Parts: sequence; structure tokens; C-alpha cells
Amino acid sequence: MRMRVTLYWLATAAAFAGGVALLILYTPRERTMGVIQKVFYVHLPSAICMLLCGLLVFVASIGYLGSRRMWWDDLAAAAARVAILLGAIVLMTGMLWGHIAWWGRMRWWYFTPKLTFSLLLFLLYLVYVMIRPAVESPQRRAVVAAVYGVIAFLDVPLVWLSARLIPDPLHPVNEGMAAPMKMTLLYWFVPVGLMVAGLIVARFRLNRAVRERADALAGSAGGDA
Amino acid sequence: MTVLGQIVLLTGKDLRIELRTRQTVGLVITLGLLIVTVLGLGLAPEGKLGGYAAPAVLWVAYLFGGVLIFEKTMDKERRDGAMAGLMMAPIDRGVIFLAKLLSNLALLGFLAVVIALFAIVLFGLDLSAAPGGFAGVMAMSLLGFAAVGTLFSALTSSTRLSGGLLAMLVFPIAIPLVIASTSVLNRLFASKPAAGDDGTFLTALGVLVAFDVVFLVVSWLIFEVVLEP
Repeated sequence: MRMRVTLYWLATAAAFAGGVALLILYTPRERTMGVIQKVFYVHLPSAICMLLCGLLVFVASIGYLGSRRMWWDDLAAAAARVAILLGAIVLMTGMLWGHIAWWGRMRWWYFTPKLTFSLLLFLLYLVYVMIRPAVESPQRRAVVAAVYGVIAFLDVPLVWLSARLIPDPLHPVNEGMAAPMKMTLLYWFVPVGLMVAGLIVARFRLNRAVRERADALAGSAGGDA
Repeated sequence: MTVLGQIVLLTGKDLRIELRTRQTVGLVITLGLLIVTVLGLGLAPEGKLGGYAAPAVLWVAYLFGGVLIFEKTMDKERRDGAMAGLMMAPIDRGVIFLAKLLSNLALLGFLAVVIALFAIVLFGLDLSAAPGGFAGVMAMSLLGFAAVGTLFSALTSSTRLSGGLLAMLVFPIAIPLVIASTSVLNRLFASKPAAGDDGTFLTALGVLVAFDVVFLVVSWLIFEVVLEP
């Protein structure tokens, strides 16, 4: 078991190293934005994986509300935690990219539609993680989190549409990508995907272990668990 | 008893309690007045709110006042085992949701009108360009807001920290409403609409309608698994 986990993370690290090698050796330098455009290959897969994590929270939340099994709650909590990690990556790479490529020396943030959307998405799932410890009873916590997980994911398309109402004078037009750029972008889904899946599984196992331990303690203390 | 009769009965009960105690309304309107005064003095010290600032000030008052309203109307059911009685009554849980939603909307509507009047009197908020449009947009926004708020207030009322928790849950969900309604209002009050604004206007209206429909239906569906004596 421990061996398999070590091998998995070694493979993930190797995939990341391969991705970095591709960035350095294979992808061309973007004509107008220069070398900072390469942050895009991390940025986009992270953003897409974040949405997928939101979807996983949604599915697990419905699973919990339907079956009332704590298993689903542990999965939703794990996916939400990974979602905010990815959200932080998306925001930081996006800010770095914008700062160097377009906004100039003093600007780190513009409320452009895409940045606003990323920020709001990050906040949605940050709230999910933050409210969990505020509810004491495990059953009630699971219900509160599950309902929020469902509503938050349904809110995502509306957040996206409303973020597009904000005027966007700065974002560049997509000029289309050369074949090596597309290949690198596709490749980068592999390490990011491996990392995300590994983190969700690890967190899920941890949540399960914590809950089993808490239940065992409550049982031995004579409480009704 | 028909569904309509049940809704009238339940909403009537909530509003009658409110009319006799005047607890929630007094609290919420005082809070709204404070928010409008503090934000108004900060944003428009010369005494005139305009542009993007006006809807923002109103929204802050509505959001905080709304959360307080949702919390208080659900809190009434927590006392003296009222929730257990309500759940044992031969009434569909969806009807309980609709009745609570209507009670919340009635209080929220009252709050909205009073706060708008404050803003008009104190800070020269000018609604004369489209008073009907303003009322319509705000009514649509508050409907969606109340739908989500009613659902979450039922969730959090049995927990510790219910007030702060409710605000945390409702605010991020309500952001599309704030952005879309502000966008619509700015278009309605703009003296000269810029070219290409029609698409934005329709998208913003679409977001408002979609928010209302999605969260009315979903909250109504989820409400019954959330109730707890």
C-alpha cells in the first residue's frame, strides 16, 4: 500500500519534470507576450481541474443527500479542499501572467471577466471548506455542506455569465496556437490530473481515517455515535 | 384545506407574529439606516449618491438586512418546539418552504422600500428615469435572494453561530444577482446607452431570470431533506 502510494507520487513528479522539460526545450516563445505565456500551460489545466472538482463536490453532495452515507461527505470535503488549492494556483498564475504580459509594473489585478470568475469560484469553495468546522454535529455538518455544495455548483454558470457583464478592454484576442503549443497544453493535463487525483484520494483516505477514529472514540466512551 | 389555504395560513401566522412583536422589522430597518448612512457618508460626502455606488449601497443594506430577516423568521420555529409541530402537521414540506419564502419576501420588500426611501431622502438617489424598472429589477433580485436565504436559514438555524454562518453561505451564492442587477440598473439609468449594450442588457436580465427559476425550484426540492425538528 505505502509502496504503491510512493510509486504514484514518483510518477507524478516525473510527469511534472517532463512537463517542465517540454516548456524549456519544445514549446516556442510566444511572439507578443514572451516567455511568461508558458505559465498558461499550468494555468488552463488547473482551471479545468478546478471545475471538475466542483462537479465532484456536486455529485458527492447529491450522493450524500440521497443515501445519507458519510462516505460521500468525506469525498465532497476532499474534492472541495483540492478545488481551493487549484483555485489558488489559477489565481496566482493568472495574476503573474497578466502582470508581466499586459498590465505593467504597478498592476497585479484587474476585474476582467475571467479573473473575476476565478476569484468568485475560489471564494465559493473557500466558504465550503470554512463553514464545515463551524457546524458541530457531524450529521448536520454533512447536510449543510451537501446543500451548499449543490447550490454552489449550480451557481457556477450564473457566476460565469454575470462575470461576462463586466467590461473587458484588456484581455488579448486569442491568436490561435502552434502545434507544439497545443501538444504541450495537452501534455500538461497529465501531471496536473495525476496530482489532483492523488490529492483527492489522499485527503479522502485521511477524512475516512479521522472519522473512523472519532467514531471509535465516541463508541468506547459510551456515547451514542 | 387547499395548498393556497395552507400557504395563506402559514404566511399569515408569520406576519401576524411580526405585526404584534415588530422585532425583526425594527431591527432590520435600523441596521439598514445605519448601513446607508455610514456607506453614504463614506462614498458621497457631498450628499449625492450616483453611478455604481447607489445600487451597491442599497445591496449591502439588503444583503445584511435579508440575512437577519431569514434568520429571525426561521428562529421563531425553533422556540417551543414549533418546528416539530409544523413537521407533524399534514402539510407538504414544499408548502412550508413557499410559506416561509413569502413571509421573508414580505419583510424583505418592506425593508427594500424603506431603505430606498432613506437613500432618496438622505442622499438624493434619483430613480425618476425608471422607477418601474428599478422596482422590477429589485423585485426579481430579492426573489432569488429570498429563495436561497430561506433554504439556508432552515439549514443553519439548528447550529451554533447561525447568523454568521448564514451570511457566509448566502453572500457568495448571491453575487450573480448583485452583478446582474447592477448592470441592468446602470443601463436603465444611463442617459445615453452605448452601442452594443443590448446584448449585455439581455444577458443580465437572463441571469436574473435564470437565478430565480433555478434556485426557486432547487430550494423548493431540497427544503424537505433539510428540515429538522
